[in-house]
Amino acid sequence: MSGPVRLAVDVDRCIGIGQCELLEPEVFRLDDETAISRVVDGATLGRERAAEVVERCPSMAISILED
Amino acid sequence: MHAETMDRPPSPADIASPVIYLDGIPHDGFAAIRETEGLVWHPYDDNGFWAVTRHADVREVSRNPEVFSSAIGHTNLWDLEADALEARRSLIDSDAPDHTRLRRVVSRVFTPKATRSWEDTARGIAADLVDAFVARGGGDWVELVAAPLPIRVILAILGVPAVDADYMVELTDHLVEGTGDRPSLPDDAYGNTTPTRLLPFNSPASYALFEYGERMRQLRLAEPTDDLVTGLVAAEADGERLTPAEYRNFFQLLVFAGNETTRTAIIHGGMAFAESPDQWAAVVDDPSTVPTAVDEVIRWATPILHMRRTTSRETLLAGTPLAAGDKVVMWYAAANRDPEVFDEPFRFDVARSDNPHFAFGGGGPHFCLGAFLAKMEVQVLLEEMARRGVRLEQRSEPVRLASNFVHGVESLELGVLA
Repeated sequence: MSGPVRLAVDVDRCIGIGQCELLEPEVFRLDDETAISRVVDGATLGRERAAEVVERCPSMAISILED
Repeated sequence: MHAETMDRPPSPADIASPVIYLDGIPHDGFAAIRETEGLVWHPYDDNGFWAVTRHADVREVSRNPEVFSSAIGHTNLWDLEADALEARRSLIDSDAPDHTRLRRVVSRVFTPKATRSWEDTARGIAADLVDAFVARGGGDWVELVAAPLPIRVILAILGVPAVDADYMVELTDHLVEGTGDRPSLPDDAYGNTTPTRLLPFNSPASYALFEYGERMRQLRLAEPTDDLVTGLVAAEADGERLTPAEYRNFFQLLVFAGNETTRTAIIHGGMAFAESPDQWAAVVDDPSTVPTAVDEVIRWATPILHMRRTTSRETLLAGTPLAAGDKVVMWYAAANRDPEVFDEPFRFDVARSDNPHFAFGGGGPHFCLGAFLAKMEVQVLLEEMARRGVRLEQRSEPVRLASNFVHGVESLELGVLA
């Protein structure tokens, strides 16, 4: 129920605002060149926190991957 | 457009009048509007706008840019004619896909990582200003601290020489006056020859900023450095650079937004701490409070009072039917005092942990580009003041600006307690 979940960034929606990296620097990294966010390989978040990060992305580019 | 206009109840408060704001934000009026069922239609010029004042409704508008457009009409209260809108168009007045492309170009030079790299510069500037303010025992907080800190930081980042700081402050002050009830400059000021309706804020000062930005662009094209203007001139997205007009409008936006807004946050922050010594004592006693204090200062100040959207089609908001082409105005100043979201919204509380304020916008793609920079500047200022144990007291009433757009203060005397 509240186990860790994986996340994805929609690169077509991301405009490099950086809210995700500020909230979870271990999980999201903005590319140095393009400023587009990517999920660090293998990184996960608790479901509740993941939902909060999804909610706080201003460009609505983050989603939870349901396996 | 509005067959049912005659049936609408009158707006309970004149929130669009600039002079109302000389006495501060009309919070009672906003509360009355917020508590009215559905949406309130507010008269403005020959028509009007929907006044969106609840936190949840501001959020919904912000997050649905396909319905609530930034590119139609204007993002200020008044409409612009098509040619004026085109000439003045910046990030703020764009929708996807133009907005996405522009935003990506500038995001590359405005990342959280880049912001962190500017922190030492900002801290040095803040420390100098605080030391000077303390040494003279206080004075005009606006002139001595709140105005110089953000302008010096943004100019350092852009690569504008420090000797031009006063000129930049002068120009952006004229832009703010352009949102008031009368123009502050003759149309031909600064050698302007462009019709003022084609200039941002209808102000010849925009022309002067354009000219200045263009001179810098030429200099950096000839001789690149590591500053932000060089980054903008060189920035490419989807193989495209910023057009000269995009660059010009963005330079103007950065100098304005990187300056007036953070200044306003610092003004109201200083005033709030002078009024609430217990809150300042909490920050000094426990510097780990600074991050929540920063957000509370920014919520408290809400430097930009509103932004407008225009409906691209018929829709429903707060149960109210809206026609296509309606003006929809998000009053961040009201949303940031919404008791549905903020516990005791009129209490300045540096420990407020659940603080989803909309001072940077209500989410969505137009979220403030400079949010991290603004927060970093307020943070280093609070840290440098706390480290020195500086305590402020209020010595005069603030002289407020007659603007319904910027929560501006022209002057505010603060003292330093021994």
